Amino acid sequence: MAPEPIISDEKKKTDKKKITIDPITRLEGHGKIEIFLDENGDCSNAYWQVPELRGFERFCMGRHVSELPVLTNRLCGVCPAAHHIASTLALDAVFNAETTETAHNLRDLFYMGQYTHSHIAHFYALAAADFVLGPAAPKEKRNILGVVEAVGVEIGSEVIKHRHYGQKIQEMIGGRATHPVFGIPGGVSKPIKEEERQEILKMGESCIGFAKFSLQLFEDVVLKNKAYMDIVLNPAVYYLETNYMGLVDDNDKTNFYKGKVRVVDPTGKELAKFAPSEYLNYIAEHIEPWTYMKMPYFKPIGWKGLVDGASSGIYRVGPLGRLNASKGMATPLAQEAYDAMYGTFRDLGVKGPVHNSLAFHWARLIELMQAAERIVELASDKDITSSDVRGKIDTPNEGVGITEAPRGTLIHHYKSDSDGLCESINMIVATTNNNAAICTDVKRTAQSLIKNGEVSNGLLNMVEMTFRCYDPCNSCGTHILPNGQRALEINIRDHKGKTVKLLRNF
Amino acid sequence: MICMSRKKLLVLGIGNPILSDDAVGILAAREIRNRNIPGVDVEELSASGIEVMEVMLDREKVVIVDAIMLPDGHPGDVFILREEDFLKTVHASSPHGINLPTAIALGRQTAPGRMPGEIVFIAMQVENIDTFSETLSPRIESKITGLVDTVEGELRKGSNK
Repeated sequence: MAPEPIISDEKKKTDKKKITIDPITRLEGHGKIEIFLDENGDCSNAYWQVPELRGFERFCMGRHVSELPVLTNRLCGVCPAAHHIASTLALDAVFNAETTETAHNLRDLFYMGQYTHSHIAHFYALAAADFVLGPAAPKEKRNILGVVEAVGVEIGSEVIKHRHYGQKIQEMIGGRATHPVFGIPGGVSKPIKEEERQEILKMGESCIGFAKFSLQLFEDVVLKNKAYMDIVLNPAVYYLETNYMGLVDDNDKTNFYKGKVRVVDPTGKELAKFAPSEYLNYIAEHIEPWTYMKMPYFKPIGWKGLVDGASSGIYRVGPLGRLNASKGMATPLAQEAYDAMYGTFRDLGVKGPVHNSLAFHWARLIELMQAAERIVELASDKDITSSDVRGKIDTPNEGVGITEAPRGTLIHHYKSDSDGLCESINMIVATTNNNAAICTDVKRTAQSLIKNGEVSNGLLNMVEMTFRCYDPCNSCGTHILPNGQRALEINIRDHKGKTVKLLRNF
Repeated sequence: MICMSRKKLLVLGIGNPILSDDAVGILAAREIRNRNIPGVDVEELSASGIEVMEVMLDREKVVIVDAIMLPDGHPGDVFILREEDFLKTVHASSPHGINLPTAIALGRQTAPGRMPGEIVFIAMQVENIDTFSETLSPRIESKITGLVDTVEGELRKGSNK
């Protein structure tokens, strides 16, 4: 039996005017949060900053566009499959391809393997420590090793086994577990065999059982713990009333692989539903001087700063964003779990979307169920072993592919010359889509938690818990290297938050 | 997860093959493959975390080859760390949730009978890991043969566990 989680610890007065949490633990890529205190020791401002630079678009110029699914998946070691799928969908559009149904189904099945592995990894390896052990548990214990120690090695082994099933499915279909090589314009490079289909089906069935277990664990550890639910439901922390974005199918149900992009406002009203090729009419990007990562916003509303509410263009993507932007799940058990989550909030008087950021974790497990069910659904169809996996393609031109990365909406937009050489590439990745929301959420949570200069490890971890909801992956969020040189800005602020000195090299 | 065909020795090159010097571990691993050393498997990985743990299962000895950036290191320096060393060293320098030592510890916790008896980490100090390019820095390029020789020397020792 797991020990009781440690939810709070002793606060100590600090005389510091600035607290820095750097590097942030348990996210992919480097990150930094700077918290500025006022004269009373209350948090006056907090910045979520991403110092990492990559520089990818330049690297791709002049290469053949058909290389992009393999190159873009090298952007990071965390979600290569998502880049591979978005890139392949973009190539379908670039080549005006007649992608076959079997090819779509194989890509979808492969991608559900990615979802299974990614969502299991995030929940158990990155998020669970905050709940199973508690936000104020000793720092050295707040990791997956501590979680396994608390819940038992047997459960730990099940986590690793089912995460591996997700990897294995990707490897069988995609050629490699981590950096797939199978997506081509109009299809996939190879069909699967009957024995592979049967093996995938068995793994999918087992993953459904594990998704059930995970939802039950979340219920037991979080939902039945009043102290946690008080935190989950507290509108002063981890709470933003934003717009939401996600891909939906023809019935407006959540779809991870492809579909139309649906955007709803904070009350749940549909603001837009658009095809990938139309994304520039709906999404624009704002640049803040203190972070390398851009801040996309819903263009018809406009950029109104780091504020939430219906008048702000900020939107959220990812598990909670997808569920809020859709009318439900596409598979029965996931729909049951969806009804349970929204039912819980409805019982508390919440109408429309759920704005509580910690519900991202709940939504992620509901999505794990949909991914597992979809594996079984797709692998149950014997026609998926058909050899009809390549459709006709045309002369290359321009195209957009949008998929749902586990972390949220992922956009790839390529322009090619008639020989297939890449002329331009634009990507808006999931973590970038959530950037403005993460910054706003971190600031608001820090302001609520840090008062009178009193801080503790537990409180600072609770600030970090804000971004962990979003499962950010900074390494592919900041892939632009302006003019080939490292852009750097140092902003020195006084206790009122006013800039007193600005240093920059660009 | 059981793979009967796994050889006792594994060279695991870690890095991103299109991110300048970050590719050095991958390139060294490929050179080891070209040398056809009996009883040695070679794998490449552009990921950290649990993947690293899984690929190490059911081996007697694993030699990880990677790029490293230590504050006082000189480009081209080669560091050889044993498990007991880098559990401290790498942990301190990696902000990632599931970093290499955590992944190894997780393997020892959940699959103790399947983890290698010996894990050696051989890393070269590099100078550029934030520009997308398929070319190594000249100083790193000139030292890669020495790095490969070091890895081969470690393999020739066999497993001492």
